[in-house]
Amino acid sequence: MAGQPKRMREHRKTDVLLAVGVILGSLIVLNLPPGPQRTIRHVVRETVLRPFIETNGAIARARERALHFDLLRTQMDSLVAPVAARRTLAEENRQLRNLLALADRESHRVTAVTVIRAGTPGAESTFHLDAGRDGGIEPFNAVVTEGGLLGQVQEVFSGYAVGHDWSHRDFRVSAMTPDARAHGLVEALRGGFREQDRLVIRGTAYLSDLSPGDEIVTSGRGGTFPRGIRIGWIAGPAEAWAGWSRSYYVEPAVYPGAVTHGLVYVESSTDTTVVETDSVLSPDQADPP
Amino acid sequence: MRLRLFLICAGLVVTHIALQVAFSAGPAAPDLLVVALLLASRSLGSAGGAALGFVLGLLEDAFAVISFGANVVALTVVGALGARTRDFFVGHSIPFLAVFLTLGKWVRDVLAWTASDPASRPPWGELALVESPLLALYAAAAGLVVRLLFFRRPLVR
Repeated sequence: MAGQPKRMREHRKTDVLLAVGVILGSLIVLNLPPGPQRTIRHVVRETVLRPFIETNGAIARARERALHFDLLRTQMDSLVAPVAARRTLAEENRQLRNLLALADRESHRVTAVTVIRAGTPGAESTFHLDAGRDGGIEPFNAVVTEGGLLGQVQEVFSGYAVGHDWSHRDFRVSAMTPDARAHGLVEALRGGFREQDRLVIRGTAYLSDLSPGDEIVTSGRGGTFPRGIRIGWIAGPAEAWAGWSRSYYVEPAVYPGAVTHGLVYVESSTDTTVVETDSVLSPDQADPP
Repeated sequence: MRLRLFLICAGLVVTHIALQVAFSAGPAAPDLLVVALLLASRSLGSAGGAALGFVLGLLEDAFAVISFGANVVALTVVGALGARTRDFFVGHSIPFLAVFLTLGKWVRDVLAWTASDPASRPPWGELALVESPLLALYAAAAGLVVRLLFFRRPLVR
């Protein structure tokens, strides 16, 4: 009987030491390098969470089929005339490019994906795609919706991929107005509350005067995002560096929380136009003094 | 741990994952994971509570690309601390459980915030003074409902 309190004390001491050991283990997990962290996430997602992720994708697909049929029919109908006009336009464009000795525009293949979002803490700005390496998807491919740019693929596995949307702190995209009169770099700007997060275009020329409502699209610079994808619209001026550059708030074209379906550009783009070396212009005309 | 408590906590964990991963409920659903952990930790030792928190944290962090491990740390510490409360508070009265679950959830959120990447976490004021207290009350309410519905032993009022 006399030894019982002592045994209890020893048991409690062992218990506390084990708890401290587990807490240290959790700190090790927190500070693991990206590779092992990626492996752990992949194992958990592919085992315990797999049925739940599949369910999420099935629900998203079923909801799209059930709710958006009329919208899809309207969108399809609206595309009939532009597609018909595009056939002659493409031929005219090809002939003109031949006359100017310009290379063909790089074409992009896209893969349709279901966008899955988890509601767990820490999963903000991140989405899960139901197609992966076997669908031709690679890291840094652009993800778009019918509205515009959603984000970028980050991690690719067999059967699925993980990406982050424009609200992610590392998101950057080269942008311009469709007529290319202003260029800049679009990034996410953190608000006081998450609901106040928005996009901002930085580094536009000081004399470029953009008005609210002006459209902003990807410029294709850097080769990651193809040219011409809508990012959003100018909402108003943000800040100006006197004589140097201006920044503007951008109203996003796509709200990530509402997206259930997207397209991945599986072939990355280089700058859009490549001039062939044997130009029709003479060297004197090509290089004016 | 009693079988009944084990089954209830397992059910809470599965429900939480279903709500957050399968249905993307986000803050619209209460944090049943921390409720399960706090209820279970009262029947486990510090090591057991910490180990359970560690495993649940790994599940929670499966989608966390930036701050992987923040939820692991938070839930591990909360599991260990929750088990230690047995030494100071006896019983499962409604007022105790309400305060226990509210504080547990708030501490969990604050710990996860502390362990998160500074560039990507929300402002401290928003989390600690606005968002987390509301979510903690929500989780405590859910925990009390679970306690009233499923626990056979009568509550001490």
